Order: sequence, then C-alpha cells, then structure tokens
Amino acid sequence: MSGVALAATTALALSGCAGSSGSGGQGGGGPRTLTVWLMNGSAPTALTDALHKEFSDSHPGVTVNYEIQQWNGIQDKLTTALAGNDAPDIIEIGNTQAPKFAAAGVLADLTADTARLSGDQWLESLKASGQWDGKQYAVPFYAANREVLYREDMFEQAGIAAPPTSRQQWLDAIGALRAEFGSDPDFQALYLPGQNWYALLSFIYDEGGDLARQDGTAFTATVDSPQAKAGLEFYGQLVEASGTKAPKDADEQTPEQAGIYGGGKVAMMIGLPWEVATAAKTDPGLTELTSAFPIPSKTAGEPAPVFQGGSNLAVPANSADQDLARDYLALMTSARYQGELAEAGMIPGASTDTSALEADPVNAAMAAAAKKGRSVPATPGWASIEAGQNPLKDMLTAYLTGAKDITAATDDANAALNKAFGG
Amino acid sequence: MRTTRAQRFWVSALGLVVAAIFFFPTYWMLTTALKTPGQVLSPAYDLVPLSVTLVNFASALGKAGFLSFLVNSLVVTLGSVACALAAGLLAAVPLARMRFHGRRGFLLLVLVAQLAPLEALFVPMYLIMRDADLLNSLAGLLLVYVAFTLPFTVWTLRGFVKGIPVELDEAAMVDGCGRWGVFRRITLPLLGPGLVSTSVFSFVTAWNEFLYALVFLRDVDKQTLPVWLSSFKTAFGTDWGGVMAASVVYAIPALVFFVLVRRRLLSGGVSGAVKG
Amino acid sequence: MATPTTAAPPRDTPGAGRRRPRAALGEPAVPYLMLAPAVVVMLALLAWPAVQVLGISFRKLDLGELVRGEVVWVGFDNYAEILTDPVFWSATARTVVFTAAVVAATVALGLGVGVLMRHLGAVVRTLLQISLVLAWATPIVATTTVFQWMFDQEYGILNKTLVLLGFDSFQGHSWFATGASTLTVIGLLVLWQATPFIGFTLYAGLVTTPRDLYEAAAIDGASPWQAFRAVSWPSLRPMLTLVAFLSVLWDFKVFTQVWAIRQGGPDGSSTTLPVLLYLKGISGSHFGVAAAVAVLMLVVLVAVTWRYLRLLVRSPETEL
Repeated sequence: MSGVALAATTALALSGCAGSSGSGGQGGGGPRTLTVWLMNGSAPTALTDALHKEFSDSHPGVTVNYEIQQWNGIQDKLTTALAGNDAPDIIEIGNTQAPKFAAAGVLADLTADTARLSGDQWLESLKASGQWDGKQYAVPFYAANREVLYREDMFEQAGIAAPPTSRQQWLDAIGALRAEFGSDPDFQALYLPGQNWYALLSFIYDEGGDLARQDGTAFTATVDSPQAKAGLEFYGQLVEASGTKAPKDADEQTPEQAGIYGGGKVAMMIGLPWEVATAAKTDPGLTELTSAFPIPSKTAGEPAPVFQGGSNLAVPANSADQDLARDYLALMTSARYQGELAEAGMIPGASTDTSALEADPVNAAMAAAAKKGRSVPATPGWASIEAGQNPLKDMLTAYLTGAKDITAATDDANAALNKAFGG
Repeated sequence: MRTTRAQRFWVSALGLVVAAIFFFPTYWMLTTALKTPGQVLSPAYDLVPLSVTLVNFASALGKAGFLSFLVNSLVVTLGSVACALAAGLLAAVPLARMRFHGRRGFLLLVLVAQLAPLEALFVPMYLIMRDADLLNSLAGLLLVYVAFTLPFTVWTLRGFVKGIPVELDEAAMVDGCGRWGVFRRITLPLLGPGLVSTSVFSFVTAWNEFLYALVFLRDVDKQTLPVWLSSFKTAFGTDWGGVMAASVVYAIPALVFFVLVRRRLLSGGVSGAVKG
Repeated sequence: MATPTTAAPPRDTPGAGRRRPRAALGEPAVPYLMLAPAVVVMLALLAWPAVQVLGISFRKLDLGELVRGEVVWVGFDNYAEILTDPVFWSATARTVVFTAAVVAATVALGLGVGVLMRHLGAVVRTLLQISLVLAWATPIVATTTVFQWMFDQEYGILNKTLVLLGFDSFQGHSWFATGASTLTVIGLLVLWQATPFIGFTLYAGLVTTPRDLYEAAAIDGASPWQAFRAVSWPSLRPMLTLVAFLSVLWDFKVFTQVWAIRQGGPDGSSTTLPVLLYLKGISGSHFGVAAAVAVLMLVVLVAVTWRYLRLLVRSPETEL
C-alpha cells in the first residue's frame, strides 16, 4: 500500500506530559491534589468516604478530588481526559477495555509496585486483563461472575431436593419444573435469551475450549474448535429443554431479564447476584425465595469455569503526581478495603479472602465459582467487540434460529474475531 | 374558505387521531414511569396501566443535584437559543435582501457546515476548546451549541425573510419607515413562525445533547441534564423506571418553552401584521 | 454570444451575479457587519474542526498518539482500509436507501401534518401541537428504549395488540430478526421524532402566506385543492425543498437511534455509515480511521445531494 509512515514526534503542545500544569507535582510541601475517577455505583459510598479520610490523614496537605463517572460515553470521556492537560491520577476501567489502554502506552507501568499492591493475591482473570507485553499496567479492583439464580419454593414444589451440581442434574431439574408448572403457559423453567454470551463462555471453558490462543501479544481465535462447538451445542440443548420464551436475537438486557424474573413465572435465570435486588423491586418477596448455585459443569460435583467481568484500576501516564497515585492504589488494594468490597457483594480483585461473601447463599454461589474465573482475550481489539457488534452474539442467534449450521456459524464468528484482533 | 360542519368534524377527528398516534410513545413512556419494574414487560394486556406507583418519580427527583443540573441546562440552552437567533437573524436579512460579494461563499459555508457528522468532530473540537481554555465552562458548551444550530437557523430564517413579499417592505418604506422600522414593523412580526420553528429546534438540540456535555464539562456542579439522565445506569444495571420518570420531568421544560414562544410569536403578530 | 440560438439566459452568464447592483439597501459594509458573528462562530467551531478532520484522516491517531501528541502520517492507509472492506460498500448502499425512504416518509407526513394544523380548530390544533412537541423533545435514551419495549417480541404492546385483533401469527414475532425489519422499526422511530419539526416548519410557511390570498381564491370559487395549488404551493415549494434537503443531511447521519436499537445488528445487517464510523473508528479509538469514514460519508452525501448543491453553486438567485 501507499503507506509511508512518517513517525514525527512533533508535539502539538498537546498535553501536560511535563507534569507542571496541574496543581500537584511539586513533590514535597505545598498543597497537592489527587483526582480519582471511579464509576457510578462501583464502590459503596461508605467505602470511598472512609478510604479518602484515611488517605488524607496519612497524607497531610493532600486533597482527594473524587469524581464519579457515568457509564454512558465513558470511552470518549477517558480518551479526552487522558489527552487533556489535567488528567486524573487514578482511573477505573472495565477489564475488557483495559488491554486497549494498556497497549496504547497511556498508562503508568505498575510492574515494580506489584508487591505493594497485594500482587500475590490478585484475581487471575483481572491480572491478565491489565497486562500487556509482560508488564502490568492496571491492577485488579473487583469482579463478578454469573451464577444460576433460582426459586427455592418452585424447586421444592417440583420435588428437587438439592440444587444441581452437574449438567445432567440441571437438565433433569428443568424437566421436573416443566412437569410441575408446565400447565401455566407463561411459565419458564429457565429464562435464557439467545445472546447471553457470558453463559456461552462458561460452557465453552467447561468443554476445555477458549475464545483465542495467545502468542505474545498476538491472538488467534479458536471458536471453530470442537470444544467451542460442544459449548454452543449445550447452549442450544438448554434453550430446547427449557422451552424459554426469551428472544433468540437479544441478550439478557433487552428486555432486562431481572424484570421478567420479577414477574414470578420464571424458575431460573443465569445472572449476577444483584439482579435479585432488581427483581425484588417488582416483588419484594423474591429476595426470600431466591437462592443460587454455580453454573454446573460437565464434571459432576464442581462448578463450571466462568467469565469474570469487573474493573481494574490504573494510573494515567499523564498523571501529575504518580507517586501519590501509587500510595492511593496501595491503600485501595489493602485487605481492609478489599474486605469491604466483598461485604458489598463483589469479588475482591486484590484479596483471596472471600469469606464475607459466604453469609449470603446468592453471593456464596458466585464466590464458589470465582476461583475458576477467566477473562476474554487481553487484546486491544476486544474493545470494539465489547462496544457493539459481538460476533459471538451473532453466532448464537444464527445457530439457535437455524439460520446457519454449527460449522458455518462458528467459522463466521472465528473469522470476525480474527479480524477484530487484527485491527 | 367555506367549510361545512361535517367537513370540520372530519378534519378535527383526523387531527385527534394523528395527535393520538404521535402521543402514543410519550404516553407509553409516562405509563412505564408509573409502573413497577415487573410490570414494564408483563404478559398481561396493559394498554391502560393496571396499577400506578409514584416511586419512580420520587427516586428520580430525589437524585442528588437535580436542581443544579436543571439550572445549568436552562442556562446553556436558553443562552444558545438566544445567541443563535440573534446571530442567525442578523445574517438572514442581508442574505435574503442584499447583494454583495461573498454571499454565495457564505451560503456554501452554511451548507457545508451541516454536512459533517458531529460524532467525528469531537476530537478536534475538544482540542480547540482546550487550547481556548473553554473546557469545563458552560460558556464553552454554549458556543458549541450555537455553532451546531446556527447554520440551520440562518438558512431557515433566510427562507422566511425571502418569503415576505418585497412589496410589503417597499410599501412601508413609502410610508416613511426606515430600514430599522421595516425590520421591526414588517419583517420581525412576519418572521414569528420562523422564529418559533428555529428556536424550538435550537432548544431541543441543545437540551438533548449528551456527548459534548459529557466530555467538555468535568465538574459535577457544571454538568447538564442529559448527563444526569445517564446516571440512572450503574454497574448494577439500569433503573429504567427511573429513566422514564426522569424523561417525563425532562421533557416538561421543552414543552413549557414551546408553549411560551408559541403564545408570543405565533398567535399575536402574524394576522395583525398582514391585515394592518 | 455570437449566434442568437445559443444566447444563454442571464443566470448562466458567468459573472451575472457580480454585475448586479451591490447592496441595494445601503452602504457596502452593512451586510458584512451583520454576517460577522455567524461567520466567526461557524468558521471557528465548524469549518476549522472539519478541516482538521480532513487532516486527521491521513494520520494514524489512536489513543496513544492522541495522548502523547504524536503526529504520524500514513498517507491513504485509512482510506485503503475502509474502501477495501466490503462492509463499507454494503453500509453505503443501505444508508442511501434508508435515508431516501425516511426522508420521503417524513416530508410527506410532515406536509400532511402542517396542512392539517392549518385547517384545525384552536383546541385540536393545540392538542396536536403538544403531542408533536413531546415527540420531538423526549430524550432519545427514553424513546429508543420505549420503542424497544413496544416492539418486544414477547411482551411488547404491539404484538399483544395484534394478537388481540386476531393476527395470531404475531405471537412471539421478532421485529429485529432481519436487517430490513430492524431498519423499518428504526425508520419509524426517526419518522416519529423528525416529523414534528417538518410539520411545524411547513405550517409556519403556510401561516405566513397572507390569509387575504386564500380569501381571494375562495371568492373566485376555487376548491380547497385548487386554493392549495394556487396559493400555498408556490410559497411552500422552496420550503419543502429546504426541509427535504435538511432531512437528507440529518437522516443520513442518524447514529444514536440506529445504535441503541440493535447496534447495527443482527449480524451487521442494519449497519449504516455512522454506525460503521463508530465501530471502526471511535469504539477502538482509531480516530484516523474515524476521520476517513467521516470524509467518505461527506463525499457520499455530496454525491447524493449533488443536484441541489449545483443549483446553489450555479445560481445565486435560486430559491433555496
């Protein structure tokens, strides 16, 4: 092609790289400001209040400027803020977005700080998503994974003694529920929309497959593998067996599955622990009646591996006071605040102690599978997939509606993934 | 025009049907705001809501900072409407009535300005605003909205000015009105509907704009209502009942604005100016 | 100009515009002073960023380059990447068809609504106007969601109503199964939001037509249709052309609604050019690619509206 890559490092006087523009950066003495960006609803207010107080107490003269960010448009906001002359010092980024930022070289290298930041206890999936080319650019904050939320009362009525612990038992339970409640035309034993690709990932991992093979910083899609096909087939088997009326061409957000579950005619859904609270807004009684079990595996007795979604914390390379930011990260990843995250119902990213989650059965089921948590390929290309057209969703719909056979569906998805990894 | 009673009845009936069709999605938004989450999508046939709750409105209005968001939005929106109308009107009159060098060039600029997709402009726009030190200020955002709505305003108003028969101007000139007198007595009143149309357009554009408001304004106490509306989405899912209730609240100022300008500009001036 | 048969009408004569008397209404500086505020704002905040977009389209401007302020020229690489992607061509065709359909529908409906308002009594007119303003002013995040709910396959009010009316085949019918169906729903949404503006503008044009002319036509015994043709149409025509042109610009660039409904799916079959711009450019922070798509969109848009643009460029007298 005609591409003449003239790498001119002429700056457009673009940014405060020199670090002199902000109010901080003078090292010791003088008032300093630390700007922290966390996402709306991610850390409880009680936690951040206590954290900021402790940080200010141990760092006299430092003001913590805490700015809560909205999810809509966060990519645009982060992009411009990182390029601005007043970049934040700490940012929270979704784990599937982290590789994009890490690979672009816009984050500070935190490899040397691993030990200070509780590196020995990091959640494996989040650790991987913050890495690029052997260096750590983002550290784990918190995560969550899907589980099967179910109605205890319906299980009891259908004569299911204990929650299923294998795929076969799961299918049997669906059968028993349909036998018991099937006369109600609105009843669904399992609500499973066609595009819950998080659930699909779990089935693929369980078969021993994965989305891609990593070779350094290069990724090759492996959705056409026999394992991936087996995972997809099991998804189809579940849809078939459960007689779910969920749309085959939409995910669990459209319509919001918790709202459907809240209607009281659904015995199970694959979701996150806090979806119970959403459902309870319709019917407060559901909090009492709902429990959870980990997504069952092929192998009886153990939970299936799961996709973990969550957030990482990072220090922008343009931050004016990176030492202060590292101090803040150290406090945030300390046992105390990680423990509070667990109490708030999340899997702590920098602590292996999940005992705070055990008290509640819905949280306990999530924690039980958490050790087998995985993340999507840590490639910058994933950001575009996540942003919109996910080939896995199209693959699911095409396969479930019969528009494509399994080979065509997986081959197309594999090609689309490879294209995304390349760009 | 002579119309029979029956004709008038059918025209009114048609008007009501069209009004109902256009109102339906808004109605659906309103009833959704009055529902609990489980009723939003229920198997029951619920054209009329089966039960009503005000919880969503309480939670929407109780959300922190609503008033400051509202004030910011009003300042930016009304300010940009006023600026766009003033600059637009100033430009429309010479474009429609005078001949001068560069007129065609200016029209081309107005035209081309509307071709570019705004989503693609936001990176250069951000850099310009940063270099002008206008980031994080309502004035900067106001200017951006003026720029977005100005080409349309100029163009539409120019069309309206052109639509006024030159004879009216000339007659007034003969009657001894100066150029300003012609503008005030003839042009301005006849432009009423055009002003309504363009000001409502500018209002709605500025009132609903999200991306630039989000990216340009950093301090919470400077943000506008669209950003507030997006805060119903959290890591734990979206509070749709809250979004709908908030959207109802959100649409009210736009409606009030419309009713106000309509009274002032649509009903009063026109017929009087033409007949008098 | 030698032979009489080829004598061109004055408007085709080069320089015809320049020979006209300048500033018929006063001193030469006046029009420039009046234009100045608009010119300054548009040059600084629209033309200049647009020129920068053109420059950026020849650069590699990803997240890293943006943050570090690096300028990396890549020639036509961004264009080559887009133009060799078959998705670009199918999205272009789709966008043109979508725009044409939505514009035709909006202008027709807007004209109907405008004429209707003109003939309605005060009360019904006010009701109609309020429902139109609400449709226009409701935030897009709410309307896109409401439309998804209304068209939901299992619980949507539309399917439930159709089933109730006896159309049982709509039980569980998915309106988002194909690109065409999805784009139709999106088109309805855009139609619903865009018609009020066009209705109001055309209504304003109708009201500006002096009532005396109608009365004169009525006295002459003209039927309503004849009165419309003779009195309203001449003043409405330029305005219709204008709103049609503006609608082309807006509908061509519609992004939020298309994105919110199905993100250009299923399987990319409702991907329009603005969606492509977002997917290829913004979502992965490839701003050079995004700029190139934007420039190509502009080219397509100019091609589509070429006739109208040429009218403007050729003759300054034309009623635009």
